[in-house]
Amino acid sequence: MSGSAKYHPKTRFEAFIHELEETFIAVLLGLMTLVTFANVVARYVFNSTLIWGLETTLVLFAWLVLFGISYAFKITAHLGVDAILNIVSSKTRRIMVLIAIVCCIAYAMLLLKGAWDYWAPFGGFEKTTGRWFPLGLDGSTRDQAWYETEQIPMFDWLRFIEPIFNEGEAYEKMPRFIPYIILPFGCALILFRVIQAGIRVLKGQADSLIVSHEAEDAVEEIAAKNREE
Amino acid sequence: MDVVLLFVMVIGLLLIGVPIAVSLGLSSIIFLLVFSDTSLASIAQSLYQAMAGHYTLLAIPFFILASSFMSTGGVAKRIIRFSIACVGHMRGGLAIAGVFACMLFAALSGSSPATVVAIGSIVIAAMRQVGYTRDFAAGVICNAGTLGILIPPSIVMVVYASSVEVSVGRMFLAGVIPGILAGVMLMITIYIIARIRNMPKGEWRGWGEVGTSFLDAFWGLMLIAIIMIGIYGIPGITGAIFTPTEAAAVASVYAFLIASFVYRDMGPLATPEGERPISLLRKPHALITAFFHKDTRHTLFDAGKLTITLMFIIANALILKHVLTDEQIPQQIAGAMLDAGFGKIMFLIVVNIILLIGGQFMEPSGLIVIVAPLVFPIAIELGVDPIHLGIIMVVNMEIGMITPPVGLNLFVTSGVAGMPIMAVVRAALPFLAVLFVFLIMVTYIPWLSTYLPTTFMGPEIITK
Repeated sequence: MSGSAKYHPKTRFEAFIHELEETFIAVLLGLMTLVTFANVVARYVFNSTLIWGLETTLVLFAWLVLFGISYAFKITAHLGVDAILNIVSSKTRRIMVLIAIVCCIAYAMLLLKGAWDYWAPFGGFEKTTGRWFPLGLDGSTRDQAWYETEQIPMFDWLRFIEPIFNEGEAYEKMPRFIPYIILPFGCALILFRVIQAGIRVLKGQADSLIVSHEAEDAVEEIAAKNREE
Repeated sequence: MDVVLLFVMVIGLLLIGVPIAVSLGLSSIIFLLVFSDTSLASIAQSLYQAMAGHYTLLAIPFFILASSFMSTGGVAKRIIRFSIACVGHMRGGLAIAGVFACMLFAALSGSSPATVVAIGSIVIAAMRQVGYTRDFAAGVICNAGTLGILIPPSIVMVVYASSVEVSVGRMFLAGVIPGILAGVMLMITIYIIARIRNMPKGEWRGWGEVGTSFLDAFWGLMLIAIIMIGIYGIPGITGAIFTPTEAAAVASVYAFLIASFVYRDMGPLATPEGERPISLLRKPHALITAFFHKDTRHTLFDAGKLTITLMFIIANALILKHVLTDEQIPQQIAGAMLDAGFGKIMFLIVVNIILLIGGQFMEPSGLIVIVAPLVFPIAIELGVDPIHLGIIMVVNMEIGMITPPVGLNLFVTSGVAGMPIMAVVRAALPFLAVLFVFLIMVTYIPWLSTYLPTTFMGPEIITK
């Protein structure tokens, strides 16, 4: 399937994951659109509103982006400036790209620590101590698993989590740790994909982390067509 | 001083090939950890809130989606046919039609590269067939494509509106007159060049063709009406119907329905090119399967991918923005500029220069998120209208996209036209001059941008 000119799954497992990621991205965006559209219809046709509509859409939006960042690292779709990269020798270029990857790994690690520290209290886990690096667990973390979202209803099939996270008390609304979980999950995926990108560069299978503009794929398609004619 | 370090770091990281978003984010994180008592957890929170806390930015994925459905759905083809029917018979007609098509497509989509790809891939080839030089064709489309971010809807305007908290509706209205003006200026220039160089003209196919091609393009063009009427209402009959975000969502559902069931260029009713598409009556279950069809999934995914890369930049730019506002940088710069005795005109020139240079290297929406909060307080202090400032910034972004060495549209055009980047630069130069004149007009005639919003939505109230 489509994706990018720069990524081709090699094994069946990779192809499966690839398909899964793309479908998840498509479904999240589709749901956002449908919920917003349904809300407009509800307001004008049925004179009522889906009270959870807006908050749900915003959560889906956050999920779409935070989940997708790692995917975009995988297929080399993030935007950057390649003006300098393109004029230096290939050896210099390689060194620059490797430094860039170290920067991205640092970024992902800092973010992952931040994401865990932010999410942990909501999930009833312990934050890490330390300012830059996790140095240990903070035993005094206040359990905030009872925090609920404003309007998103609780799914009944999710009730099994109540004894685990909320001491058996029923949630009236979706607890906050569920939408927020995308933060640590997404950041862990970013770290994973950035490390993979680093390995690709080390092995000489890739020579860049970035593309210079958003339409690079589309342009390549057209250029390929032009060459055929 | 610290802040100089911050900017040096951002630029240094950008130049060695770190993704824009990571350059902005990593520099801000390091700055915050060293110089303030912000924790990593609150940085992670602001990354999440960049999406979940910004209702205005939610319009971006929807506008991208609407434009993806429109590009996949062969609307570009129909718009071009309509444009050629209207102006193709003039001298240099096909080139003028290309500009016209870019303007119409810009009113459907919010991005410049997307406009160049959609229109350029068809028009450049067509122009060469009837005897235009490749340089001329590329130059025209490269410039006209920049209108994508000036003519509403525009993703860059949504970003500006959200980062300085003005109304998206106002920004969109403000773009209408400048957008049309820029298009007309380009067309006149082409016409003059065409007269001098005696360029080919097409034949007039009569009003019949204008009518038929309009009907064919009608469903696509209706999208413009839905967005505009949705946001502003029909004067005298209804007020605004949707927020811009809702209008964008409705537009994408509409675009999906048109592409799948009316034009049938994608989805379960599509057939290979040249054959008649399948009638819905013969395949009624398509009403359901269209939602799950692989074309639908593919378009959703493409739009999602673009949203992700743009929002990753914007979210990190928002972190940098927090750093700048926490450090009171805008106020400091404002103070320094006012002390130096900068007037309104000098200030606008400085803004122009900053944006022209920045626009070379950075994706427009990310640049706006960073620069807008820096210059906004100064502009208010000097009595520049926020909407006017927004339009100036957008026009600067347009020009940044086509100025060498690294304008985005130059790359896209070079790919689409299959010619080296330096050739595109030379080809775009005459029209670039036109856009520069246009920039000066927009900068010094505020009326162009403020007339429509003030007339329809009342005078702007400045709260800061």
